Amino acid sequence: MKSLNLRVTAAWLLPVVTIVLAAGIFVADTITDLEIAFPAFYTAIVLLASRFCRKNGVIIVGAGCIGLTLLSDILTFDAAPSEAGVANTVIGLLAIAATTYLAARFEAEREAVYEIRSQLAHVTRVATLGEMTTSLAHQVNQPLAAVAINANALLHWLDDRPPNLDEARRNVARIVKDVDRASEVIIQVRNLAKGSPPERDWLRINEIVLSTVALLDREVQQSELVLQTQLSNDLPLIRGDRIQLQQVILNLLLNAIDALSLVSQEQRKLVVSSAKIDTKNALISVQDSGGGFAPEDLDRLFNAFYSTKPNGMGMGLAISRSIVESHGGQIWAKPNASGGAVFQFTLPIDAG
Amino acid sequence: MNEDKPVVFVVDDDPSVRDALDSLIRSIKMNVRTFGTAEEFLLAKRPDAPSCIVLDVRLPRLNGLDFQRELAQLKVDLPIIFITGHGDILMAVRAIKSGAIEFLTKPFRHQDLIDAVYVGIDRDRARRQAEAVFSELRNRFAMLTSRERQIMLEVASGRPNKQIAADLKLSEFTVKVHRSHLMHKMKAQSAVDLARMADKLQASTKNGVTLDTRV
Repeated sequence: MKSLNLRVTAAWLLPVVTIVLAAGIFVADTITDLEIAFPAFYTAIVLLASRFCRKNGVIIVGAGCIGLTLLSDILTFDAAPSEAGVANTVIGLLAIAATTYLAARFEAEREAVYEIRSQLAHVTRVATLGEMTTSLAHQVNQPLAAVAINANALLHWLDDRPPNLDEARRNVARIVKDVDRASEVIIQVRNLAKGSPPERDWLRINEIVLSTVALLDREVQQSELVLQTQLSNDLPLIRGDRIQLQQVILNLLLNAIDALSLVSQEQRKLVVSSAKIDTKNALISVQDSGGGFAPEDLDRLFNAFYSTKPNGMGMGLAISRSIVESHGGQIWAKPNASGGAVFQFTLPIDAG
Repeated sequence: MNEDKPVVFVVDDDPSVRDALDSLIRSIKMNVRTFGTAEEFLLAKRPDAPSCIVLDVRLPRLNGLDFQRELAQLKVDLPIIFITGHGDILMAVRAIKSGAIEFLTKPFRHQDLIDAVYVGIDRDRARRQAEAVFSELRNRFAMLTSRERQIMLEVASGRPNKQIAADLKLSEFTVKVHRSHLMHKMKAQSAVDLARMADKLQASTKNGVTLDTRV
């Protein structure tokens, strides 16, 4: 808990320190002569900014520093600036520009790496899930098949005249053993699910929504639909596992896109929105104008292995629900007033 | 023909499934022998009885489908019933095309397996009988002299004694004597019967057995 608080503190501390430092350099630069090469210190500001800004932010800070240098030159108005003074200013400006360029480039590459990494994490998760499901199905199926065979053999032994009780007893013993084995597998799965606590980072909801939408760029284009985002600007940070929450939004969006593929093109509309619904909760909702769902499906939609899609595994919504609930939120579906379906979930907002 | 009680071979790496199948097959009063791997099966001495194999597709090291191919190469011509936890259509098609009796997905209806086992045993029994008849025929043919073999093939192709005598530059009487000897040795009731035997023997020459007229 302590370390978390520290990180939050650091999040606002760094910009404040940077601004104070920039102001200090500006004052010092203005009151000293041009000969003193204060502008070079602005490179430190750019480097500090790159710690908490994205690429564009770094460029803006760099431009700001150049502006401040020129401003203090005007304020330190000198009728006849010496050659050394002008040279100092020019060198200072070049240093700021070069630092800004390098920091911005570094930042852009870092973002690219991050983007690729989160895409990769998504792909691996999907692949692992598929493999795990196959393997689990096999592990449960084997003892189940054995139980069925043993039970049938048992009936045969009992039908013998006289009944072969020794054999029958052995069948029953094997059935008990195999049922135990099947439940063992189930227990393992439960432990597995419990065993890995999700990451808890401070996250911006809108950023997660937008990055997930970006992952689906191609699908959105291919399905020729209109996607709108209505994101609220007054959402505080939330605590959660970025990849898991992306997974939830991804599932909801993919379901919506599937639903929209069944209606005519001009009808296809998908709205993703975020909002603060009260002091404790944020709401993310995915609203589509597709075919919607039958009222009787409402209770089963989030059940594992229940799917209304012909090739659906019935895992998407079940996984989404367990992720949302592990984040302390709730997920539900309702019919869209103008046709289609709305899937929404809440996430607790922490005053932190 | 001395025929042992039919035997079903079960090859499955899962001990639970193996034991269950062992019990089920014994409960329909058939002999059963179980193996955990394909290698184990290949190393075992198999009883001389009509049999079939119940084979799990997913086996360690050598999988069921490759094992089927290997058995074919080894000329082990036993009917195969595949069982699998997760069968796909491609796998089933490949198995059936290579001569499998049945492709069952676990959990299967036990009656389907029992039916397939009966079909497999019947098919193997028929194959063994045909093989026994043929090998008996070959033994008899092997006892003929070179001259008798020549005459048998001529008779089988429908030529009268006189013509055979002319062809082989023998007297008609000699041909008659040879002919009665060979009919006796081949246990043929008539010329038609003999022709049928010659057909069977000749058909096998296509399968790599040469019908040698020399002694």
